[in-house]
Amino acid sequence: MATDNRINFWRRNTKVPGSVQPVYGAQHPPLDPRLRRTYPKDTKPKFNNLKSKKACSFHEFACSTNDAWDIDDEEDDNFCGTPFSASFTPSGQDLTSVHNQQLRHQTGETEPVLPHILTPPRDEGHNSQRDDGSECERVNGKFVKSSSDADLNTTSVRSSLQKQQSLPVRPIIPLVARISDQNASGAPPMTVREKSRLDKFKQLLASPNTDLAITEELRKHSWSGIPREVRPITWRLLSGYLPANKERRELVLKRKREEYFGFIEQYYHSRTDEHYKDTYRQIHIDIPRTNPLIPLFQQPAVQEVFERILFIWAIRHPASGYVQGINDLVTPFFVVFLSEFVILILAEDVENFDVAALPLETQRNIEADSFWCMSKLLDGIQDNYTFAQPGIQNKVKALEELVSRIDVDIHNHFKKYEVEYLQFAFRWMNNLLMRELPLRCTIRLWDTYQAEAEGFSHFHLYVCAAFLIEWRKEILCMVDFQSLLMLLQNLPTIHWGNEEVGLLLAEAYRLKYMFADAPNHYKR
Amino acid sequence: MEAIWLYQFRLIVIGDSTVGKSCLIRRFTEGRFAQVSDPTVGVDFFSRLVEIEPGKRIKLQIWDTAGQERFRSITRAYYRNSVGGLLLFDITNRRSFQNVHDWLEEARSHVQPHSIVFLLVGHKCDLEAQRQVTRQEAEKLAGAYGMRYIETSARDAINVEHAFTELTREIFALVRSGDITIQEGWEGVKSGFVPNVVHSSEEVTKSDRRCLC
Repeated sequence: MATDNRINFWRRNTKVPGSVQPVYGAQHPPLDPRLRRTYPKDTKPKFNNLKSKKACSFHEFACSTNDAWDIDDEEDDNFCGTPFSASFTPSGQDLTSVHNQQLRHQTGETEPVLPHILTPPRDEGHNSQRDDGSECERVNGKFVKSSSDADLNTTSVRSSLQKQQSLPVRPIIPLVARISDQNASGAPPMTVREKSRLDKFKQLLASPNTDLAITEELRKHSWSGIPREVRPITWRLLSGYLPANKERRELVLKRKREEYFGFIEQYYHSRTDEHYKDTYRQIHIDIPRTNPLIPLFQQPAVQEVFERILFIWAIRHPASGYVQGINDLVTPFFVVFLSEFVILILAEDVENFDVAALPLETQRNIEADSFWCMSKLLDGIQDNYTFAQPGIQNKVKALEELVSRIDVDIHNHFKKYEVEYLQFAFRWMNNLLMRELPLRCTIRLWDTYQAEAEGFSHFHLYVCAAFLIEWRKEILCMVDFQSLLMLLQNLPTIHWGNEEVGLLLAEAYRLKYMFADAPNHYKR
Repeated sequence: MEAIWLYQFRLIVIGDSTVGKSCLIRRFTEGRFAQVSDPTVGVDFFSRLVEIEPGKRIKLQIWDTAGQERFRSITRAYYRNSVGGLLLFDITNRRSFQNVHDWLEEARSHVQPHSIVFLLVGHKCDLEAQRQVTRQEAEKLAGAYGMRYIETSARDAINVEHAFTELTREIFALVRSGDITIQEGWEGVKSGFVPNVVHSSEEVTKSDRRCLC
């Protein structure tokens, strides 16, 4: 029944999202053969902002789907055979400028200088086009070939995945998964399309225009994933932390960072006061347990940053205070803002990077930016954490209503075995699915959440519904309470990457499109 | 194959944040100790079979609750459908012992009209050097509330089986004596499948393993 709806929906709305699109900024080779089964091309069309699966080579994929392009999609103009413009390569820069770059960052000049793509001089001369249309590129300072090496990359990614899968399970697992798709080592090559996307972002970000339309344009493009090179600056803008007006950005950054450290100076000593010591104690005992298996988060310098951020936020928001789960929400911001500097220096894994090695000023900037962006996020979902957590209760109720409309089989199955939505979905809401997904997927998910109006507070509901239905087959196989709960608490997402998140978001978008303007439609 | 059990009991595990609730349950259900794990948010579910007498197996469904105050509105919904509970404190953390009374109050006010058989557990007993609560005072407190007291360590696997089995036996005795009865609309106790054949203990261990998957 659900499938029928889906097909009809798409047939009726060919103009809107619509047709199969190439891989937007996808950073993963197809990892999961299951996807092919679950979403055969002809029965489940996808729309613009969705990363569809890759064919063996990008060229093959493009040919096999070229009947599906939207002709008036401007993004397609520079695709299909158009060789990538050489003007992109910032190869004039050299690695000795690392320090200067840092200084520039410290002074707040955070526009996309693309430190990640610094080109080591020794690679000079390799940057030539090939006959077969694939090209050699330098990504993250490494020399890679875009399509012909795809298989090699797949193999290495697979073997590292197998390692991950053998790790102990639950509840730590999702956060254990490597976050390295956003740093240098092992990053898959960039496709032509990804490069053109990156260029588009750079162009938008560099625009001095204060026009709101630019921000809207940026949102539109961010929905389907932000290239990691420009993610830090784009997140700062989308979260509302940085103003659209480029000339004001530097000043605002400086002022906000000073403001944050003003809070620290003024309030942080009060953590030992009678009034706040409970709050501080809870934060203090939770921090070592945050992302416990990623070495980065075991560093004293990092733990202190998290403690300060959470304590200041908590005492400034007495209605909720600190609630477990909020500690997780700092992580993506911290990692993204840190990645800006890590890749710059040594092309090292973010997760093993020694933060104390960064200049103090840089550390402070990362901390302040993480604080403000997290605050912006929490502004939209504070009722998740106030007394009795009404935001979560309402969203879980809404999830139940939604699922009862879109997949009555699952809904009845839960009823039959007395599974309550609150039993598994509480954590989905309280931690924004962060405990269910690898960190790299959360970061990709947040690209879209920040691009959506009310992404964290509203769109998340549809993502949760899509996430549940993703496991439809597995759920319906489980025929007792216990197996159902164990499944729902341990959904196997360890291998997930951008493609899976892209599909999830596409489905969520479809649900939102169907139900958002018709709230009574999903209420019984 | 469905594992064969006489009854199914639902248990709840409560106590302050970081006293080791999740670690104790994971030691019991998964047989291993995790040095670090994320704080529990809301409620997590675990399950295991225990054999209280040769051939008499009970299926335990265990709710692991978040210790933080803010989650009470969620966790208190689980008292009503529990027949038994482990109330944990950390023997190296005096404050967690002082809060035992509040936890009992919290449970008793939300379990009506049913009642819960509690076991008081002094956890982390491997950390003897840092002990802040003596065994005597803990036993005295437990006695005052009509509970038994057991000291456990998830890290060194001390008394973990014992704690869960003792509580299960105590509930089983009350079920057998008719003090606790199976009721429609109450999940605390459910009857299971009575085995026709008494299995050897080896088979029991095997089926225990299977039910963990």
